[in-house]
Formats: sequence, structure tokens, C-alpha cells
Amino acid sequence: MSYMKSRSLIVAVALAFTSPLFAGDDPVHERHELMEGVGDAAKPVGQMLKGERDFDAGVVMNSFETFHEASAEFGGLFPPGSETGEGTEAAPAIWEDRAGFDEALATWADAVDAAIAANPQTLEETKPVAGEVFKACKNCHDTYRIEDE
Amino acid sequence: MLSSGSARSLAAVLAVGVALAWWLTSPQRIDVGGLPDHEADPVAGERMFWAGGCASCHASPVNGKRAKGDNKLLLGGGEELDTDYGVFRVPNISTHAEDGIGEWTLLEFVNAMQRGVSPDGRHYYPSFPYTSYARMPVEDVMDLKAFLDTLPPVEGRVAAHSLGFPWSLRRGVGVWKRRYLDTDPVMRAAEPTTLAGRGRLLVEGAGHCGECHTPRDRFGGLRRERWLAGAPNPEGKGRVPNITPGGKTISQWSAADIAYYLESGFTPEFDTVGGSMVAVQENMARLSDEDRQAIVAYLKALPALE
Repeated sequence: MSYMKSRSLIVAVALAFTSPLFAGDDPVHERHELMEGVGDAAKPVGQMLKGERDFDAGVVMNSFETFHEASAEFGGLFPPGSETGEGTEAAPAIWEDRAGFDEALATWADAVDAAIAANPQTLEETKPVAGEVFKACKNCHDTYRIEDE
Repeated sequence: MLSSGSARSLAAVLAVGVALAWWLTSPQRIDVGGLPDHEADPVAGERMFWAGGCASCHASPVNGKRAKGDNKLLLGGGEELDTDYGVFRVPNISTHAEDGIGEWTLLEFVNAMQRGVSPDGRHYYPSFPYTSYARMPVEDVMDLKAFLDTLPPVEGRVAAHSLGFPWSLRRGVGVWKRRYLDTDPVMRAAEPTTLAGRGRLLVEGAGHCGECHTPRDRFGGLRRERWLAGAPNPEGKGRVPNITPGGKTISQWSAADIAYYLESGFTPEFDTVGGSMVAVQENMARLSDEDRQAIVAYLKALPALE
């Protein structure tokens, strides 16, 4: 192994252990990434609701599936000790009122499951079920997220 | 020792000074002849109630949290605004006869809303945004009273404000008003007959958007040359954004984006509204599509300030 190669390997290994992407050790980063993905998935659906994008049932369903996966994982990413760091927008209320937070998440998960079950094929069918999902997003943010600057 | 002549002159100067100060600080009211012949309509008044954000301050908090849903109609007050001047306590404006404003006449209500004067002739502090409400068509204020009259009485008197000196001298607000209470529109170009002009009535008047989105000078008056161009957050850290077309974020938003944000609370990136704007957005969601479009037309017509 050449010097350069072994050096890159060491760097790679070191990065793997310190990187926020390293499995399971950085819930602040993981939940941030997960929510970014949820936002990205919500965007095309929102654009359809706004009339800025042609309706596509497949895209809508993909987004709902993304929400579903995220909703299964999200609640586990707020262990004690992860209250601060990396500019987190998680509000102290999550740890002060864990039951309320879990309930808000469950409302979201239920709305997502109902949306998937509805399997909407038109914009008109999408509006009410997506509306419930978005309402759940907003309600949870109102209480359990602090405002970024 | 003063001679009797100079003592008399001094007394005369003092008397003139006191009279001048008294006059400068005296409340200016609309008299009964200033009310138009208008049959107040509670349905139209409900629109003003949401546009004006009355509930955002006056709805009693529920278990220490902001009121939601129908609790927004219980206007017992009690919210506290912790500011650089001291703590303002939001009063009860429910229809309760003793604790609220149930006994107020229409004229007393109009004077409170548009001149910042209480029924017993005292000045209100401008934490109650009458400087904006003063720009509302008086008919809208009359309609609002008709709507408030339909809401339930809520018991409980709220304690007085706790302000530091000299802000505690309420009479001094009279001088402040002479400088800053101005019923003229800020954006004269927006004619009331246009969509942007209807938006002007909502934004500059009932909506009182300028109270947070416009920076203040050192006496707490709005700096009109920086109208809606963003300001420090009165409730702590961060800034209230610039919402002129020159604003860093809003300049990237289409008219449909802004209207959708006001309706749903979602930004074009599908983040949700935060901070004090949550309550404002929930109020804007109660307006009609046309009202929201008018607000957007007005914002888009503003001069772009950096």
C-alpha cells in the first residue's frame, strides 16, 4: 500500500467515525436530514396543490411513502442528551412533554397512513388527505420546534 | 430674593409652561359627529377581527399556551408582552360588563381603536397598535364592534402594566402621539379602488403588519422610510424579515407563494411558518382568497428596500 493510499484510508476511517453520518451516533444530524427529506417530498405535492405543477399520482404516493418511513423513525431520534447542538431547532418542549410530542407524531403518522390508504388518483382526492398531513406537520412544529433565524 | 415683579414673571412663565405641557399631552378624540351614518354589520366585523389579529393578544392563554380554535374568541386578556420599556399586560376586551368592554359605547370603542384614548380619557400605550388601526375606514371599526358584541363575556380583570420610568408617565404618550399618530396612508400610490389599494387597507390598517416588520426610531416610532423592510425581533433574538420586494427571502417568492403561505403556513420550500407569525398566519387563513391576494398585490407593489 502506498503512502498516499494508506493516508487516504486513515482519513476515510477517521471521517467515518467522526462524521455526523456515522450510524446512530448523531441523532441531531440524522433527524435534521430526515426532516429535510420530508420537506423535499412535501414540496412537489404542495406545488400540485398550488396549481404550479401537473398532478402526478405516482409522485404523490412516493411522497406519502417517504413520510411514512420518516414517521416510523423520527420519534427515536430525540434521546436524552440530544437537546442541543448543531443548530438544532428541536424545542425543549420535546423533552419536557414527551407524551405530547409522541402524540403529535402519532397524529402525523396516522394522517400519512390514511393518505396512503386513500391512494388518491386525482388532485381533488389528494387535497383533503394531504391537507391533514400538512396540518399535522404544522401543529407539531408550532409547539415542538423553535424558530430558526 | 426675587422682587415681587420677577416672581410674578416666573410664575407666569411656569403657568404657561404647565398649560403648554397639559395641552401637548392632552388626549385628542373623535366626537360623536365624526361617526358616519353606518349600520354596523357583525359579519363584516368578523373579517376585521381576523385581519386585525385581536385574538393573538387578547385571547386568554390556555394552560400557559396560546389559545387555539374557538378559544380565540374568549378575549379575557392576560397575555404579557415583555419589552424594553417594561411588561405590558393585555387587557380583557370581552363583553363582560365590569372586567371587559361590554359597557362601552360605539364612540368610546372608535376612540380607543383609532385615537388610543380610553373611555375615561387616558392614553393607551402604543403596544396596542392604534397607530395602525387609525388608518382603518371607521365603518370597519364600527363593524368590528358589532362582531365583538356577539362574543361571550369572560370574567377577570388583568393587572396594570409594569413600566419603568419615564414610560410609566402615561400622560407623556400624548406628546408621542402628536409625532407618530398619523392617519394618512404610508403608500399613497396604492389607490383604494385597485387590488393593491384594498391590500393597503388590510396591511397598513387592521393587519398592522408595520408594527413588527418596520424598524422603530429611538422614541419607538415607525421609520416610514424603512416601511416593512424588516426590524429587530421585539420579543428577543433574530429579526422580523423584510417583506418588501427587496427582502432576501420574499424576493424569491411568487405572488402565489406568498398567498399560499398566508393561507397554509407553508413556505415554497415546504418549511412551516414560525414564531409570532404562526398566530398571524392562522388569522390570515381565515380571510378570503381575494383578501390574501390583495395583501400580496400590495406587498409586491412596495418599493424594494434592501
